[in-house]
Amino acid sequence: MSEVYALEVRKVTKTFPGVRALDEVNLRLKPGEVHALLGENGAGKSTLIKIITGIQPPDSGELLIGGEPRSLSSAHEATKAGIGVVHQERNVIADFTVAENIALGNTPTKAGRVDWKEMRAGAQRVLDLLDFPIDPDTPTSLLSPAQTQLVEIARGLYADSAVLLLDEPTASISENESDLLFTVVHKLAAQGKAILFVSHKLEEVFAHCDTVTVFRDGKVVAESAPLADYTRDSIVDLLVGRTLAKLDVPERNPSREGAPALELRSVSSSAGHRDVSFRVHPGEILGLYGLVGAGRSELAEALLGLTRITSGEVLVNGAPVTIRSVGDALRTHGIGYVTEDRKAAGLFLDQTVEKNLTVTVLKRLSNALGVVRARSSRETADEYISSLDIKVSGRDQLVGLLSGGNQQKVSLGKWLAADTGILIIDEPTVGIDVRTKGAFYQLIWALAEAGKAVMVISSDLAETVTLVDRIAVMQDFAITGIVDNTHDYESMSKSVIRLIHDEPISSVEVQR
Amino acid sequence: MKARLGAALRTQNTSLAAVIIVGTIVLAIQSQGGFLAPISIRTFFEFLAIPIIIGLAQMATLAVGQMNLAVGAIGGFASCAAAILVADAGLPGWLGGILAILIGLAAGLVNGLLVVLTQINGFVVTLATMTILAGAQYAMVGTRTIQASAWPELQAIGTAYPLGVPLIFWLALIIAIALAFAYRHTLVARQMLASGGNPLAARLSGISNNRSLVAAHGLSGLLCGVAAFIVLCSLPGANKSIGGDWLLSSFAAPIIGGVSLVGGTVAVLGTVLAAMVVRLVDSARAAFQLDPSWVNLVIGAVVLGTVALDRVRTRRPSATRGRRRPPADPPPTAALRTVERGAGA
Repeated sequence: MSEVYALEVRKVTKTFPGVRALDEVNLRLKPGEVHALLGENGAGKSTLIKIITGIQPPDSGELLIGGEPRSLSSAHEATKAGIGVVHQERNVIADFTVAENIALGNTPTKAGRVDWKEMRAGAQRVLDLLDFPIDPDTPTSLLSPAQTQLVEIARGLYADSAVLLLDEPTASISENESDLLFTVVHKLAAQGKAILFVSHKLEEVFAHCDTVTVFRDGKVVAESAPLADYTRDSIVDLLVGRTLAKLDVPERNPSREGAPALELRSVSSSAGHRDVSFRVHPGEILGLYGLVGAGRSELAEALLGLTRITSGEVLVNGAPVTIRSVGDALRTHGIGYVTEDRKAAGLFLDQTVEKNLTVTVLKRLSNALGVVRARSSRETADEYISSLDIKVSGRDQLVGLLSGGNQQKVSLGKWLAADTGILIIDEPTVGIDVRTKGAFYQLIWALAEAGKAVMVISSDLAETVTLVDRIAVMQDFAITGIVDNTHDYESMSKSVIRLIHDEPISSVEVQR
Repeated sequence: MKARLGAALRTQNTSLAAVIIVGTIVLAIQSQGGFLAPISIRTFFEFLAIPIIIGLAQMATLAVGQMNLAVGAIGGFASCAAAILVADAGLPGWLGGILAILIGLAAGLVNGLLVVLTQINGFVVTLATMTILAGAQYAMVGTRTIQASAWPELQAIGTAYPLGVPLIFWLALIIAIALAFAYRHTLVARQMLASGGNPLAARLSGISNNRSLVAAHGLSGLLCGVAAFIVLCSLPGANKSIGGDWLLSSFAAPIIGGVSLVGGTVAVLGTVLAAMVVRLVDSARAAFQLDPSWVNLVIGAVVLGTVALDRVRTRRPSATRGRRRPPADPPPTAALRTVERGAGA
C-alpha cells in the first residue's frame, strides 16, 4: 500500500434478485491517469457507477477515496467526497439556465440566498475550460442535444472533483465536440485528476486512455492494466469471451421459401431510422443486435404504429400495409410486441395474472354486449399458466408479487394468447437468471417451430448467437449488416462486434 | 377470487363496517333509540343516495388516474337546467328527469374529449368546466328556487319507501351493484382499469387510452346526471347552491373506500361504505348539535389520514413495482427514449 489511489474499489459485490451484478470486483484509479472501464451490456459497469456515485450501496466490499474508506449513501455525498460525474443520459432541467444546470447540486449561496454572481462566474470558468462559447444565462431548452451534453459534461467539472467519472459522454456528440472533450480530459489528467472513462467506442479508448479495466458478467477480467499491453483484438476477446451455460441448442433449418411474414423495404421513420430493410420468414428467428440506443426498440415501435414510417414499405405476408396503431398491428396485421421493460410497459402489476394474460384478447373473450365471458377468461389464463409453467398460487395472484422470470412469462403469455403470426420480443431475458433463460430459449424455438416469425431484440450477444437464425446488426438507427448465425460464438461475436465498433465515428450524426 | 375477496374484506371494508356499526350503536344510545326509529332511518338513507352516487362518479375518473372536479357543478347544472325546462318550458317532469341524466352524460363526455384532444391535465380541464358550469347554473337560476311541485311524478319517486327505505337509496344501491359487475366483467371497464393501471402497457397491448379516458369521464358525468335526477326526486326545489358542497364528499367516499389515486383500481363496496361513514358523521353532528363546519373538519382529517395510511400500506409493494429500472445495465424503456428523442430533435 505504498501508493495512494484517487479511487479504489475493493472486493465490491452487488446482488439483485436473480442476478449477481458485481462479484468481488476491484478497480484502482491513480491520480493523473485516464482509465477506461469496458464491458458489454449487462457486464456490471452501470452498477459499479451507481455504487461509486452513491446511488446504490454495495452489498459488501469497500470504497476508498483518496485512501480513506468511505460509505456513500447519496449522490450528494459522492459529490462532496470529490467525485464528479458526467452521466450518459442528459439530465438537465430544461427550464433552468445553463449556469443553473451546471451548478445544480452545488448551487453557491450567500446568506441563504442563491449567489447568482458566483454561480455565473463558476459556470463561465468551466465553459471556458471546455472552450464552449455560450452565455451561461441561456435557457437550456434552447440548446441542441449535443450542446446539452456539453452542459452535462460541464456540470461534472464544476465541482472541481479529484475523480471524474465519464459515462459514455461521447454517445451523442459529434467528433469535433468529442475532440474538445478529450483535450479537456488530458488537461485535467495533467493537473493530477483521476479520470474513469466508460465507453463502447474502442477507437476512443485506444486513442485517449492509459489503463483499462474490463468487466464481464459482473467479474473483472482485466484489472487496472496498462492499455499498451492490449490490442483491439485481445480487448474484444476479453469483452465477449463468455460461454453460456450448457444448453440444448436445436438443429434449426428454417425455410426461407415463399413470402416473408414480415418484410421491410428501405424503411425510414420519424424516430430517425434510415433505409432499414430485412425479411423474417414464418418459422424463422431474426436477431436484432446492437448497443443500447441503436434504435432497435424504436424500430419495433414504428412497426406498431407508435412512430410514423416516413418512407419505404412494410409488407406483412407479402402485402404492403400501413400500421396505424397498436390495436391495428395486433388485430389486423397480427404483430405482437413483448416489451423490454416488463414492469414499466408490459404488465399491470396491481392486477391479477388472469387480467394480465387476457388483456390483449378481451374483445375475443367478450360477448356481443361487451361482457367478458368469465369462463373463457379463466380458461385462457389457465391455459398459459400451465403451458408456460408460470409459478403462481393461482390465476388471481397479483403479477407484482411474482418473480422476474414468472413476470416475463406473463408478459410473453399475453402475446401468445393473442396468437399473432409475427412476434417481436424485446430483450427476452433481461434480469432473469441463467436457468430460466434456458427455458425461455426453448419456448422461443418452439414458437418458431410452430410457424411464427420471431424477431428477437437483444443487447446480449451470447444470447443472440445462441438463440437466433440470422443476426441483423443495428447502429445509429440503420442496419449495418445481416449475418447468418453459425452458432460459433467466437467467430460470430467478432464479426458482430466489428460491425458495431468499426463504424467510423464520423458517421455519428448530431441531431439538431 | 375468493382469497382476494377475503383479503379485501379483512382490510378496508371490515374497518369501515366496524366504524358504521359502532357509530350506529353510539348514535342509538345517545338518541335513546330515536336514531333507529323508522323516520330517522328514512332520513338517514334519503341523504345517503347522493353521496354514494357522486362518490362512484369520482371513483370512475380516479380509476383511469384522473379526477373530476366538476362533479358538483355537473350535478348542479343538470338539475337546474332540467328544473327550468320543466317549470318554465312546460316539459313533462319525467322528461326533465331523463334530461338531467343526459346533460350529465354530455358534460362528462365533453370533459373526456377535452382531456384527450387538448392533452391538458384532467385536473385543469375539470377545474375549468367546474367553473363554467357553476357560473352557468348561477346565471340560469340566480337567487330563485324552482319549486319541486312542478315535477310531481319525480317527487313521487322521492317519497316512495319500499321496505321502509327510500326508493332513491335502492336506486343508488342498484347502480352500485351494476357498477361492481361492470368493473369486474365488462370489456370497456377492464380496458379503463388497464389504462389507469399502466397506460404504457395498455397502449402496447392495443388498448386505446384515449377511449378509456373519454369512457371514464363519460361514466362519471352520467353518474353526476343520476345524482341530479335524485336531487329532483328528493329535494323541495332546485337552486344555485345544489352541488356546491359535493366536491369533498365525492373524493372522501372513494379515497376512504380504498380507491388508489394513481389509477387502476376501483372499490365499489368500499366507496358505498365510506359514503355511509361520512353520512354517520353528519348524523352525529346533528345529534350532538355541533356546528356544521365540524363535519368538514372531521371528513377532511379522515381523508388525509386514509391517504397517509394508504401510502404506508403501499410503500412495500411499490418498492417492487414498475417505473424502476431493472438491474444490471438496464436499457431505458423504449417509449421513454422515444419521448427523449422527440423532445431533443
